[in-house]
Amino acid sequence: MGVTVSQYLAVSALLFAIGVAGVLLRRNMLVVLMSVELMLNAANLAFVTFARMLGGVEGQVIVLFVMAVAAAEVAVGLAIVLVVFRTGETTNVEDVSSMKW
Amino acid sequence: MNEYALGQGLWEMGFAAAVPFTLVALSAMAVLLADLWLLPSQKRALPWAALAGVLLSAASVAFLWNEEATGFGGAIRLDRFSAFFAMVFLLGTGLVVLLSSAYARREGVERGEYYALLLFGTSGAMLMASAVELVTFFLGLEILSVSLYVLSGFFRQRPASAEAAAKYFILGAFASAFLLYGIALFYGASGSTTYAALRESFGSAAFPYSHGLLALAASGLLLIGLAFKLGAVPFHMWVPDTYEGAPTTITAYMSVVSKAAAAAAFIRVFGASLSSLQQDTSAVLWVLAVVTMTLGNVVAIAQTNIKRMLAYSSIAHAGYLLVALTAAGEAGYSSVLFYVLAYVFMTLGAFGVVSLVRKGEGGADAGAEALDISHYSGLAGRHGLLAAAMAVFMVSLSGIPPTAGFFAKFYVFSAAVRAGEVGLAIIGVLNSLVSVYFYMRIVFLMYMKEETVPVRGSRSRAGWVALAACVLGTLLLGVLPSSFARLATESIASIF
Amino acid sequence: MELPVLSLVTFIPLVGAIVVLLMSSENEKAVKATSTVFSGISFVFSVVLMVAYNRAIPDFQFVERASWIPQINVWYYVGVDGISITMVFLTALLSFMSVIGSFGIKDRVKQYFALFLLLQTAMTGVFVALDFFLFYVFWEAMLVPMYFLIGIWGGPRREYAAIKFFLYTLLGSVAILLAILAMYFSTTPHTFDIVELGKTHPFAPGLQMILFLALFLGFAIKVPVFPFHTWLPDAHVEAPTAISVILAGVLLKMGTYGIFRISYPILPDAARDFAPFLAVLAVINIVYGALVAMGQKDLKKLVAYSSVSHMGYVLLGLAAMTPTAMNGAMLQMFAHGIITGSLFLLVGVIYDRAHHRDIDGFGGLAVQLPIYTGIMSLACFASLGLPGLAGFIAEFMTFVGAFPVFKTIVMISAVGIVITAGYFLWTLQRMFLGKPQEKYAGFPDLSARELVTLVPLQVLTVFIGVYPWLIIDFMNSSMESLSHFLRGV
Repeated sequence: MGVTVSQYLAVSALLFAIGVAGVLLRRNMLVVLMSVELMLNAANLAFVTFARMLGGVEGQVIVLFVMAVAAAEVAVGLAIVLVVFRTGETTNVEDVSSMKW
Repeated sequence: MNEYALGQGLWEMGFAAAVPFTLVALSAMAVLLADLWLLPSQKRALPWAALAGVLLSAASVAFLWNEEATGFGGAIRLDRFSAFFAMVFLLGTGLVVLLSSAYARREGVERGEYYALLLFGTSGAMLMASAVELVTFFLGLEILSVSLYVLSGFFRQRPASAEAAAKYFILGAFASAFLLYGIALFYGASGSTTYAALRESFGSAAFPYSHGLLALAASGLLLIGLAFKLGAVPFHMWVPDTYEGAPTTITAYMSVVSKAAAAAAFIRVFGASLSSLQQDTSAVLWVLAVVTMTLGNVVAIAQTNIKRMLAYSSIAHAGYLLVALTAAGEAGYSSVLFYVLAYVFMTLGAFGVVSLVRKGEGGADAGAEALDISHYSGLAGRHGLLAAAMAVFMVSLSGIPPTAGFFAKFYVFSAAVRAGEVGLAIIGVLNSLVSVYFYMRIVFLMYMKEETVPVRGSRSRAGWVALAACVLGTLLLGVLPSSFARLATESIASIF
Repeated sequence: MELPVLSLVTFIPLVGAIVVLLMSSENEKAVKATSTVFSGISFVFSVVLMVAYNRAIPDFQFVERASWIPQINVWYYVGVDGISITMVFLTALLSFMSVIGSFGIKDRVKQYFALFLLLQTAMTGVFVALDFFLFYVFWEAMLVPMYFLIGIWGGPRREYAAIKFFLYTLLGSVAILLAILAMYFSTTPHTFDIVELGKTHPFAPGLQMILFLALFLGFAIKVPVFPFHTWLPDAHVEAPTAISVILAGVLLKMGTYGIFRISYPILPDAARDFAPFLAVLAVINIVYGALVAMGQKDLKKLVAYSSVSHMGYVLLGLAAMTPTAMNGAMLQMFAHGIITGSLFLLVGVIYDRAHHRDIDGFGGLAVQLPIYTGIMSLACFASLGLPGLAGFIAEFMTFVGAFPVFKTIVMISAVGIVITAGYFLWTLQRMFLGKPQEKYAGFPDLSARELVTLVPLQVLTVFIGVYPWLIIDFMNSSMESLSHFLRGV
């Protein structure tokens, strides 16, 4: 009853797709941020799966790197959302459009 | 173990490859620490500290110029290619620091983080150019990007700056996720993430079909990620808003360093390692190049804000870079290198002028940045030198000899013709004809119109030094391009 | 070591431009003096060039060659032969006269002269370059100073004229660039060497035609050949006097020079095939230009359109390809340079006084400005082709040389001569004859400075008219060998 590699990859791809859809469709900046995280984690899942498949630890080490990067990104991202909220009183992506071509 | 042996050991581990960007990162930390101890009145020492870090690293690159080393278990590599890009990044950073020294004070953002983040970003860019392993490249990209997210939102009080940061961040992180997924797929397909492994797995056409599909999917994702960073259409949406809202000096930095870093990574991954996929990628690149050039140039015509115009212009120039990347081969890639170098001088120069022009007395916002194109009316009458410098950059950006921009474009288009992409070269040439219109409009306003809004030029000496360097570089690369072209060719030869 | 005369002729003005830029803008006198000196030295060297040139052989002389961008086989390669030497001299002469003629400039004097000297270097460079890349660099580099000179110091519609000139010419340059690239990549080893390509002319006839058309677009815009001429009246009319002189006297010649230097030797098959079309375009230029000139009320516009007409003769001579016709065309390039140059100077003179150029607004000026009237009449007669003056010889030779080849076309072209005579005589009549007008009573006649710029050109006009061999001698051997080559004799 083992879960096969391709099943893991399918889940990973699904997660990634959900993340992409979230970024493209949702309007709240926090939700968009979470969707990006979802995409990164989909990649992480793929890394772990491949590491398992290939029988190495490299993929798992990479995941640790990615988690660190993601943490930094989220920290900066939240700060930016905060600044946007302070200057514009909104976290809605559509309201943030003072510049137009 | 004595110290000498330790040094020897590190050297043998390829530590040399890490020296340049480590020095930059260390200087960034030093600046950050120094900021804690400096009194507010001493803050003007910060840019000089940052500049010292840049010079130190540049010296180390010069020292290691003829070395070749691979370090950290095959993750990074020092060769002529990474040295060339390191010099380009350091040159760009140095000029931006000079321009910032007056700008940041003027805008009230003269803080240690500003310079520290600039240096961190540069170290990330250098890491991208010297990485020969995908995750290391990803780390470099993230160091650069995260620094830039913060820097573009550095005017915390201004909605435009916050908006710039937000848009850049969301789309940047989105692109990074694509890139990372692409890396994961490559890892799965070849069992390793080093470029050498990629070349081994996909270097010859004899890899299994399923691997081929995986590699194609991975390449596609990687390509999307890099296209975002490059600012190529249709992944350019962040460019105009971010360029307009970010502090001008940061815009200059982004347009030069971030673009060059993306190009460097592209060449290492797609040019040197995945050359067997070239047929598949070049069709995609062809389309990207055409739409990027065309959209950039056409939309730039309609702009009224100079930073936004330069943003679209930088999209157009990303298109020219894509032409060179499509052409591929040693000629195509070395033309990328030359273009990037020329681009540093002319674009930094143009943004530098923008950062120095301010609204004059009279009016409520005297001293604020004069960002409307109409503010440039009659600039020549009041600030002959500033206008002359801007004219040189505009002429160069439109690709008229004898300036850097001309030879750079010539190099790119002739590489395209050589690679058999005659159609692409013609489209490129026609595009650069269109671009003349909006570049020369600035010249036209400066020299042939009367002043409408009083403006004045900043008297920052450091800023003027940077501008002078840009003018000299622009002319030098135009008149005597040969030694720089040789440098570019040698750098490319070092990675093939 | 031999003196690099060509480099000196070319780059001394550039040095002058840099010196002028470093001077104080307050001291306008010094700026003018310096510019005159540098342009003058360049002129002196061009005279040296003429004297030292060996007229007997059609080969390139005063050749200088140095590697410039070895990676793509680009050379700093200059030299002159019978096609270019008279053009180099004409450029130096007209530039020198124009510098003196520009002393009246009042606004931003320093920038004006710096740009002018820059322009002189670029123009001379076009005529001496024997490497395509170098040629293109000079060709393009000329645009920017010209754009500024028209756009800043021009007439009321200067901005429009400047940008129109710029975009038109740039469009042509782009075509030239593509042709150059195509030639470069279809030769092995890749070369930009104009002389080498002229000797080997290695392109297949089909490719030749494409290249010829691309180059022709670039050159035709410059000449200008109908229907690419619409930038010309705007630019000529709006440009300041000295710049109109340069435009008409030197820039227009670059188009036909390009055909002589590049299209004909390198693409002979296409040239032969294209010749009849060229002849048709020539006759359109001649007749159309003359007709439109006749309808002009503005004196400067009239002279501008007369240029369109006169450049038609050059095209006709080119199309005929006989030695006589080509010598005629070459001589017409030179003669038109000095004649139209003086006409524009003369228009400037009267505009400075009357502040308008409306032909019908003048009348009876012969009484008030006798010297001016004399010189203007001489220039007009030269332009309409009065025997004994430079224009006549050139047109006559062109017709004689072209008649055996294109009988009908030459006969139609002769109509152009009649119309030209008509409008020039009519202009002279309206301006100088009739009752003197009150409002022009106090006008001073030509000043010493104006005479300095005008008299040499008139002397040359008469001299060439009487003794055309003076100029033809320089070009004859080159023209004969080119003609023989083209016609396969």
